[in-house]
Formats: sequence, C-alpha cells, structure tokens
Amino acid sequence: MTPPLTDVETPTQATVATAITEHSERDENVPVLSVRGLHKHFVLHNVDGRRVEGLNGIDLDVRAGEHIALAGSSGAGKSTLLKCIYRTYLPSAGTVTLRSPNGPVELTGLADAKLAAIRGREFGYVSQFLRAEPRRGALDIVARAGIARGMDRETAIEAAAVALRRLHLDESLWDVFASVLSGGEKQRVNLAAGTISPPQLLLLDEPVSALDPANREAALALIADLTATGVAVLAVFHDLDAMDRLASRVVVMRSGRIIESGPPDQVLHHLEGVAR
Amino acid sequence: MTVYDTARDTAGDTSSDTRLEDATIAYSKAPSAGQPVLRVERLGKIFGDQNLAAVAHTGPNAGTEKSPDGNSVVAAWDVSFNVAAGEAFGVIGESGSGKSTVMRAIAGDHSSTAGSVWMQRRDGSTVDLLTMTASERRALRVDELSVVYQDAAEGLDLGVTAGGNVADRLTAAGWRNFGQIRERAAELLGRTEVPLERMDDLVRTFSGGMRQRVQLARALANRPPIVLLDEPTTGLDASVAAGVLDLIRSLLEELGIAAVVVSHDFAVIEMLTTRCMVMQHGRVVEQGLTDQLFEDPQAPYTQRLVAAARA
Repeated sequence: MTPPLTDVETPTQATVATAITEHSERDENVPVLSVRGLHKHFVLHNVDGRRVEGLNGIDLDVRAGEHIALAGSSGAGKSTLLKCIYRTYLPSAGTVTLRSPNGPVELTGLADAKLAAIRGREFGYVSQFLRAEPRRGALDIVARAGIARGMDRETAIEAAAVALRRLHLDESLWDVFASVLSGGEKQRVNLAAGTISPPQLLLLDEPVSALDPANREAALALIADLTATGVAVLAVFHDLDAMDRLASRVVVMRSGRIIESGPPDQVLHHLEGVAR
Repeated sequence: MTVYDTARDTAGDTSSDTRLEDATIAYSKAPSAGQPVLRVERLGKIFGDQNLAAVAHTGPNAGTEKSPDGNSVVAAWDVSFNVAAGEAFGVIGESGSGKSTVMRAIAGDHSSTAGSVWMQRRDGSTVDLLTMTASERRALRVDELSVVYQDAAEGLDLGVTAGGNVADRLTAAGWRNFGQIRERAAELLGRTEVPLERMDDLVRTFSGGMRQRVQLARALANRPPIVLLDEPTTGLDASVAAGVLDLIRSLLEELGIAAVVVSHDFAVIEMLTTRCMVMQHGRVVEQGLTDQLFEDPQAPYTQRLVAAARA
C-alpha cells in the first residue's frame, strides 16, 4: 500500500550521521515537512466493521516560510491530514518526515514518548478550541507555552503580553481562569499560545473561526507574520478570503486526495461554492 | 487474539536512538523527555490456583478473567509498559480489567505470578521490585515510590491528624527536629490546599476531597521520583474531583514526578497523561498516545469505551 519512497528514506545510523552534518547549515531546500503516500482509513468495529476512507495517498511538501492552505468541502480530508501529521490520528500507511536540527525525523513510526517530547516544540498544532489546563489565566497559559519551547520565564511573560495585546485580549482578562472566557477570547488565547516562540512547523485547524471581523483581522496579521519569519504553515480555513490573503499555495482536496494545487489567484476563483 | 498495540516503542522505532537522545538533551525542559524510571515487563498475576493453563482460557477473547474450573482468576497477564521521569502514564479499564492489580503489583501490595518491574533508584541502580523482600519494599515506599489510593483509609491513618500523617513520612525518612517537621508538614499541606487551621484535626473528620489532599501531601512528602495514583478522584463530587485533578496535574508538572494513573474515568486519564493503555479481562488491548487513543481508537473494545464516554 505504501508507494515507493521518492526523496524520503528511513534514516539509518549512517544516513543520520550524514544528516547531522548536512543539516547543521540549515538547508533551506529541504522541506520542513514532507508527506509521502499518506493513507488513513478508519475501521468502525462497532458499526458492522465498516471501513471509512480518510486519506487516499497524500504527497505534500511544506517549506520554511511557506503557507499552504488546504481547501475542499467538508469531509474532503483536510483536518484528517493535519491530525495524521500530528499523529492524533494514526496513519494507516505512508510517511511524514519532519526536518529537525539533527536530521529528518519520520513521525509515523516514532516512539510515542519521543513524539510526545517533540510535539509542540518542533511542530505545533493549533486547533479551533482552547484545551487549556483548568485554573490557569490567559497570560500564564501563553507564557507556559513559550517556556515549554525554551524561552526563559521573563522573556516568555513579556512575549505572552505582546501576543495577547496584539490579539486585543482585554488586559483585565489576563489573570482570569481561561475556562470562563468566551469562545472568541479562548480562541485568541489558544492562537497566542500556539504561536509564541513558534516552532518551525505549525498546523492550523480553523484558528480564527470564532472571531469577529476586527479580532479576525489581528489574528490573520499575526499568522501572516509567522510565514514572514520563516515558519512553515499548513492551514485549514473555512473562508476563501483568509486563504487568498495568507496562502502562498492552495492545495485542494477531495475524497482524501489532492486534486489541484497552485497559487491562490489561480485556484481560488473557481473554488467559490466548493471550498466552504 | 488481535492486540491493537498502536504504541510505537523503541523496538518499532524506525529512527535512530542517538539522534533523539541529542534532541532530548536540547529539550531538557520537556517533562516527558527523560529516561524510563519504571519498566514493567510481562507482568502477570493469578489469584487462586496458580494454574498457568488458565491463561489460555481467559482474556478478552474468552470474555472472562476466570478459569473454566473457577479456581483461578488471571487478573493481569502479559502487561508491559514503561514510564519516563516526569511522565504520567495512564491505565484505563472497567472493573475487573486488571488495572488495580497492575498497580498493586508495582506497589508491592501483593505478590506477582510472572514478569518483572524494573525501577531506577535514586542512586542510579536498577532493581526488579518483584525480587525484593517485603521489608526492602517497605523501605522503598518511604521516599522512592508513593501510592495514592482511591480509599484514603488505605493510604492514611484516619485516627491521626493531617499533620501527623505527613510527619510520619518525614520521620520515616530520618527527620528528627520537631520544629522542622512541623514546618515542612505545614508547607506540604499548604501546597495540596489543606487549610492550615485543620492541620491538627483528625483525618477522620475530613471530607473525601480533603482526605485525598492529605494523601497527596503524605505521598509527596519525601519527593519520591515515582507516584502511583489509583482512582484518585473516584467517589468525589464532580466539582471537588476537578479541583483535586488540577492539583495533581500541577504537582506532577512542577515536581517532575513519574506517575502511573489508574482510572476507569476517561476524563482523568485525558487530563493527566500523555500515554496510556487500555485493559480488558486482565490483558492490554491497546496502548498509545492518550490523545490518539481517544480520537482514533483502534481496538473494538476501546472504540466502544470511547463512544460510551462521549455519548
């Protein structure tokens, strides 16, 4: 089921040794994320063993500073792809290779504990919803995310304040437990936590869906800055306007496959009514 | 039987160990990046007749943990997992799944039939807990391996004050100065949110949630590297349980303690652990990353559990 590997290979001791030298000078030609032959099917054991196809062979590269927007109707497999990369879903076949300071890491076969250790640090996933620890304030949540990515305490608190201010989160809410905030407020806390001291790759799943126009504007500007500073972004937005403004490339999915890919101005005009 | 072992352990790991250990050092702040401090290997426990033939006739496929002749209960069999420093590992299952048996085998509350439980000690040496004598294991419980039980009466002396229960652990570890002991006990109880004015009250007069907080203070008194938590919030009111869970989570995070959390409650496992396993009729049916296990369960049994928990 796994298609032949192209430029991705399972690292052995030897290739890892070479990789370490090669990658020490951060080779910009190596994609930050490289997906090859990714398949996902679900077996619903308790619904007469039904098999549901999620992804049917995805090949995709995302480079530093590139923002790839996934388009397609509901059920096309956009979120499934993000989750298979983050391994919230277990891929059925194929490879997901992440560039890392010490050489490529293949995520689908990585030991659980090791994956847990690099999640959020070498690559992040920003969902639609805030999954915050209870009894923590917004500033605390965002600063902790920064600390987890290697910032020292002082810097992290400062950066968290900058991010929350930038997303117009009222300062009187910064030390209120985030669990009591509104949907839009939580989403901004989530986005700030996901993007503070950003990892090299960010997977964004509808990160601005609950925001009003003014707040949405601020959030989109923040996401645009990520790519400008070299972060690789793979995102799902429900509106074409966001894709048009942010994406360097739009990848259209249908039935778990990529059916089209190109710059926003070429792809988006005939997607009206399809990609919602 | 099909085991849906979705866990990627070192054996199935296609990447290089050396490289990732380097990464581990670079991210030493990562609580889950440490080396295993606890390694459970093919642990087994049979109650009743020690009849190994019973193993083949029990488990998820047989639909029971009891042998056909009724004289043996294969409470746990072929259970393997490891826990790294600062990591919380979950064991989830219904009553009779064997999850508490596993916990009690590690804790040394009963003997085991098969397997090993390797633990890294403070001095860096590694021991198999199952080969230690009862007195050696008691010594271990002072400051290297603590247990928080569902029933506080098991973990505490209800006829002693809250402060006394904590002080008892400190004296066991060699503390002798009364003033210092009292000061440290007060600090620990404060950390687990027990009001100081109740420090000298008998634990018997405490509510369920408050008793669990005293148990936590006692369990953490000597900063053990490993804590076992058996249904730590079961039986508490929902709002009280939420508070205790928060507390456990922040304590684990702050102190970098390795934990094994046993619970039938998905919310508890989801909140406290990064990796977990599902048990049914004494066997492991699935193991993996906690979020993956809940969002994309593979085994029919796990799918049923998750569906029921989400309904």
